[in-house]
Amino acid sequence: MGKILTDNLAQGMILTSDVLDRSGRLLLKSGTELTDRHLYILRTWGIVEVDIAGMEDNDTNATPDKTIDPALRSILEDKIMPLFLHADLSHPFMHGLLRMRIQREARNGNQ
Amino acid sequence: MGSYACEFSERPEMATNDTLNKKMMERLINETDSVYSLPLIYERLTEVINHPRSSITDITRIISEDQGLTARLLKLANSPMFGFFSKIDTIDKAATIIGTQQLQALALAVSVMEIFTGIPEELVNMKSFWQHSIACGIIARTLAIYHRDINAERVFAAGILHDVGRLVMFTTIPEIVKEMIVESREEESLLYWIEENRFGFTHANVGGRLLANWNIPESIAEPVYCHHSPVEAKKFPLETSFIHMADIICKALGIGSNGEQFVPPLEPSTWERMGIPAGSLVEIVRYAEPQLEETLAILGKNAS
Repeated sequence: MGKILTDNLAQGMILTSDVLDRSGRLLLKSGTELTDRHLYILRTWGIVEVDIAGMEDNDTNATPDKTIDPALRSILEDKIMPLFLHADLSHPFMHGLLRMRIQREARNGNQ
Repeated sequence: MGSYACEFSERPEMATNDTLNKKMMERLINETDSVYSLPLIYERLTEVINHPRSSITDITRIISEDQGLTARLLKLANSPMFGFFSKIDTIDKAATIIGTQQLQALALAVSVMEIFTGIPEELVNMKSFWQHSIACGIIARTLAIYHRDINAERVFAAGILHDVGRLVMFTTIPEIVKEMIVESREEESLLYWIEENRFGFTHANVGGRLLANWNIPESIAEPVYCHHSPVEAKKFPLETSFIHMADIICKALGIGSNGEQFVPPLEPSTWERMGIPAGSLVEIVRYAEPQLEETLAILGKNAS
């Protein structure tokens, strides 16, 4: 299982843990198969990510990442990775930032 | 100032070259102090705000004397950063809605940005420097709001001022800074590590000391002093964490530049202290980004 951003959820995905709001109130139970209505609820309550069955760990941004052309991706990585020389990329925070940087540059068309 | 991290002598690792380093730090601060000083209006504002018997009218009267400051504060209050529905057209309203302490923090950020001028372009592009600083301020403020910190504007000011020590170094020892920048390129080392090796202190420490010297509240000076060494923050560890992380976020995303080429390493305990899910990063940046351009336009005019 792994976390996935609410924005990247689709109908039919299955929750592998309970979804709680920030005060700990139960919104959706583990095992729920997501419907449009559920996605609406998650967005309304400001839930940013949930555990979904069959996703790899640390793959929060899995969906948008795949839309980057592999050739462009490798150019961007060559350019950006050296800046992260002193960053511990096994940490979810730094890993997440690296992904965001690559996506940003891909979006801005920088090479 | 008590057990305040900005008290330079308390750093235990500096036993050997202690006196020399201390003298160097003093030199930097004194030289800066003799050339740049906070506008009188900020001091008067602080005096009035801290006085138990002053009213909002006293505060607004002082701010209103400075038309430039008034205009910028009003623009800030009406910017997307605050997202108020109705128009805030007087300082009086701003003070009531945003709060006097918050207004003071904003006035501080605006004032400091105005005073540092004439930095050689080859060291840093000032527009891009303030872009990094303002982005750091906005993201730190967003983290603070996310964490339901009531002092969000102080965090914003600390974020804007976090690299003020670099400006001190750029103006007082430009040649040495040039050498250090070259060294960091050649050695692929972080600039602040090189500063630490050379002087026993970093630009973060210099900035914190300068602010402490100017009697800026500790809740702003300590996070600046400790933004590369957040575990040293004794009184305001949470505020320091916001600045530490926001600085890393801005560097990692390539927003503006401050003379440092690498993304600084994360102190993992700050992340744990924040307790936010990794996925929220995207949300936080998405929330902060639209505020960036407008704030830069409001504050940046006088900072180029």
